[in-house]
Amino acid sequence: MSEAAIIAVRGVNKEFTGGNRSVTALRDIDLTIDRGEFVSLLGPSGCGKSTLLRILADLTEPTSGTVSLNGKTPRAARTDRDYGMVFQQAGLFEWRTVQRNVELPLQVAGVDKQTRRAKAQEMLELVRLTDFSRHLPWQLSGGMQQRVAIARALSADPEILFMDEPLGALDEMNRERLQGELLRIWSDTRTTVVFVTHSISEAVFLSSRIVVMSARPGRIAASIDVDLPYPRTAATRTTEAFFAKVTEVRTALHGVPAEQEVR
Amino acid sequence: MSTVRLVRGAAPMSGVRSVLGRALPVVVTAVVILGSWQLLVTVLDIPSFIVPAPVAVVSAFQAEFATIMSASVVTVQEVLLGLLLGAVAGVLVALALSRFPGMSAPVLTAAVIINCAPIVALAPIFNNWFGVTNLMSKAGVAAVMVFFPVLVNTTRGFLQVSPLHLEIMESLAAKPRQVALMLRLPNALPYLFNALKLGTTLAVIGVIVTEYFGGPSNALGVYIAYQAALPRFEYAWAGIAVASALGLLLFGVMSLLERLLMPWHESLHDRES
Repeated sequence: MSEAAIIAVRGVNKEFTGGNRSVTALRDIDLTIDRGEFVSLLGPSGCGKSTLLRILADLTEPTSGTVSLNGKTPRAARTDRDYGMVFQQAGLFEWRTVQRNVELPLQVAGVDKQTRRAKAQEMLELVRLTDFSRHLPWQLSGGMQQRVAIARALSADPEILFMDEPLGALDEMNRERLQGELLRIWSDTRTTVVFVTHSISEAVFLSSRIVVMSARPGRIAASIDVDLPYPRTAATRTTEAFFAKVTEVRTALHGVPAEQEVR
Repeated sequence: MSTVRLVRGAAPMSGVRSVLGRALPVVVTAVVILGSWQLLVTVLDIPSFIVPAPVAVVSAFQAEFATIMSASVVTVQEVLLGLLLGAVAGVLVALALSRFPGMSAPVLTAAVIINCAPIVALAPIFNNWFGVTNLMSKAGVAAVMVFFPVLVNTTRGFLQVSPLHLEIMESLAAKPRQVALMLRLPNALPYLFNALKLGTTLAVIGVIVTEYFGGPSNALGVYIAYQAALPRFEYAWAGIAVASALGLLLFGVMSLLERLLMPWHESLHDRES
């Protein structure tokens, strides 16, 4: 394990047993992620990418293998609040204002009210929603709600940000705009990001590295460095290098049998 | 900046107009019903023991305004006491049940079954327990009637929390106490208020009917039963009208309280309409 590694996954398997059937969701996963990386887990549905993320976040346990986060077990990392998490749905508490939603992780951590408020304001500036701090979630569009969820995930200054298809529920235009915002937030905070997606172009645009996964059972098929220079902008999407990388990732994805493999 | 969906509050004029637009049909309907009622009674010469004319009821109300009002005060006290007792007991038991979710299903089933029984039939029993003139004999029946819907609804509110919200709290390593206070409690509030709105109606029924079996001499149910026995039906109907108004008023107060305590609930109302 290298000095810079913040996440280390060794020989992780995950089986789901229901009744007399058992499904292998993940097989022999080895993965090392360095501090400051933006890593996307990319694959077809059923490849276990979300399961892998949930194992990292200690929301489910691996059947075998070890995971180390920040040098700790996932359980310890979770209780130390070393990571923030964004889900596909914003999941804001509808009875709390935007500001108080962002404060939630700090409140759970027992941070005093004044610090909480200041920190939430800072986070709302980061996601550019300062004017909406007193709004209730239902008054915001889906994209804005997801930005609040990102602010919430980052409010306790976690070293790692887990994102489980966070832009999946948004329309294409909002999606691209939020991808740009996300890169800016990443470069501002220097958080390590693990990002689950099934969109190739999204993964290429955002990531410094893409971990390509295949389905049934979920395995890591390839790890592809994305050497496009940051900061990436809308113009990046139209460059030759971008298309070349998309093609490379697509080839890696299709090079492995996914849905059609029958066990 | 992204677009905001300002669903309401954009144009105050339209708000005033919409209130008018909603109130007008109600007023028109009321006038039409009362008018035809008056007309039918007068034209067909219907005797007052069947239905007195609205004008006769109003004049009876005017003649005994002081008596009816003082009777209402007693009855309202009983209703509020019953509501309070039933709601507090319901919420406390719901809290206990949410601690042991395994217990909740059988207990809730039992509660639903018991709730099907005509609880108001307990009125003579409660009059015996507490004494006919004791406020508690009326409030007790109301409390039992309020207790069950509050218990069932609030327990559901505590337990039917969005799995995503639970997962978010789990990812934040929240303690069970924090999950209860920051998630389950606010989640249960809309459920509780639905039960309380139903409960106000039930409490008024419970109290009035129990008063029919006897009560403090200056209570609304006693007044209605007494006037009907005399028989002075205009006065009985005046009492019934006031009892209905009480139920409506309490329901309105509860709805207002709901809006004040849960500003976010506006969104739900929007989605309904």
